[in-house]
Amino acid sequence: MPEIFQYPFMIRAIIAGTFVSVLLAWLGVFVVSRRMSLIGDGIAHASLAGIALALLAGWAPMPTAIVLAIIIAIVIFWLEKKTNISNDMAIAIILTTGMAIGVVLLHFYQGYQPELISYLFGNILTINMPDLWTIIISTVIILAIVALKYRQLLFTTFDPTGAYLAGINPGRYDLMLYIVTAIAIILSIKIVGIVLVSALLVTPSAFSRLFAKSFKNFLTITISSSTLIVLIGLIASFYLDLPSGATIILTSTTVFIFGYLLKNILKIRNENKI
Amino acid sequence: MKDFIEIKNLSYAFDSYLAIDDLSFDIAKGEVVAIIGPNGSGKTTLLKNIIGIYSPTKGEIIIDGQKPQQVRKRIGYVPQKFEFERSTPITVKEFMSLEKCNQKAHGAKNINQALNQVGLEGVEHKRLSSLSGGQFQRVMIARALLHEKEILIFDEPSTGIDIAGEQTIYDLIVKINQTKGTTCLIVSHELNIVNKYAQRVLCLNKKMICYGIPEQVINPENLKKLYGIGAGLYHSH
Repeated sequence: MPEIFQYPFMIRAIIAGTFVSVLLAWLGVFVVSRRMSLIGDGIAHASLAGIALALLAGWAPMPTAIVLAIIIAIVIFWLEKKTNISNDMAIAIILTTGMAIGVVLLHFYQGYQPELISYLFGNILTINMPDLWTIIISTVIILAIVALKYRQLLFTTFDPTGAYLAGINPGRYDLMLYIVTAIAIILSIKIVGIVLVSALLVTPSAFSRLFAKSFKNFLTITISSSTLIVLIGLIASFYLDLPSGATIILTSTTVFIFGYLLKNILKIRNENKI
Repeated sequence: MKDFIEIKNLSYAFDSYLAIDDLSFDIAKGEVVAIIGPNGSGKTTLLKNIIGIYSPTKGEIIIDGQKPQQVRKRIGYVPQKFEFERSTPITVKEFMSLEKCNQKAHGAKNINQALNQVGLEGVEHKRLSSLSGGQFQRVMIARALLHEKEILIFDEPSTGIDIAGEQTIYDLIVKINQTKGTTCLIVSHELNIVNKYAQRVLCLNKKMICYGIPEQVINPENLKKLYGIGAGLYHSH
């Protein structure tokens, strides 16, 4: 058996990583197509408040952060739809406020804060069995909802007016996407960290868009590349003894750069043939 | 003829800005009605009230005896600008498959047939972003045809299209109107188009300036009220 599989924490990390990579990839195609890439950053950073509150109160950080992330998603949605505040402004306000609350709360936390660093930059060593089950169950539920409402989500993404005229309530699906994305981001924090999580939401989609010919194709390539990126990143971090979150993100950037260069080489070759 | 779409004392305001002021008119089933007016005259706002995305500040809109929101599935809308993330790959077929209803005749199998009706062949596997402006307008019309919409609303359908393409779009609208009895509302800037294709025209500049048969109501006096200029724009032939 390869050395990597002899460590229970690595097995937990690989299982958790596979689940969140599929989840983030699936949601990422909608997030990128709606030009709302910033939302991942906003929710992740703002969730520091929830994590700090949980650490201070001695509660379980992940469920606390999930509840807070859902509230944050609802507030961003409300600000965007019910006020004149634009999406990026709403996210910027929530992001900085959440972080500021987190920093203030942590000011009252006594002693060394190793867990905090894990949340900021990801640490697969901290994924315990309850976390793993939370990730698996939440991912399965969210994927089932997204699969069930795939057409409506796609319709409201591309043509909200057309969707409305087809009898769909676009606002309901916007809110649904915000909430499930918020939960997905929190589920991924222990693997890639608050600071880095949005890259995993966006980069696989950016890579996939270079080659996809249809939306179905786009989704398939994004999920495959995302899973591959996370697994390669985890394995590389283990053997090179590097931080897991940063290694995964650097893997995704490398894959994107490789894809971009390949796309351009193929383009030049095709032009030369003509 | 019985009124199909009734606009009664409609006013619409964005906060303190009044975009439409006490507008009343009606449209019979199967009519082609054009809406003309300068920029910022409330044309698009009126269309958005008719499809029910906006709710009137005052007054009401009745379509076939019901509120717009209740009959919205019977309306097809071709917007002036269709904005989407163009680098996202979605094919024409995928785009047209987004709307689903329980009728078999409206299913994905009939997409090619609808595209053929608007003169588009072999585009179903093309990316939506690769289509020209005219082709895209026709895809939107094909989607409305696929679901047999009873009302078709066009917001400046010739924007960004060359003269030949523009002619094709308007000929297509008239063909749909004549063969299927579809009620059509068209926002247009071009008076020759209005004269040629519309049975009635609404001149709008926040308030109604005129409403009636184009040959009768499009005259120098009304144009001056509408645009602030006179006969220079007007050609009776």
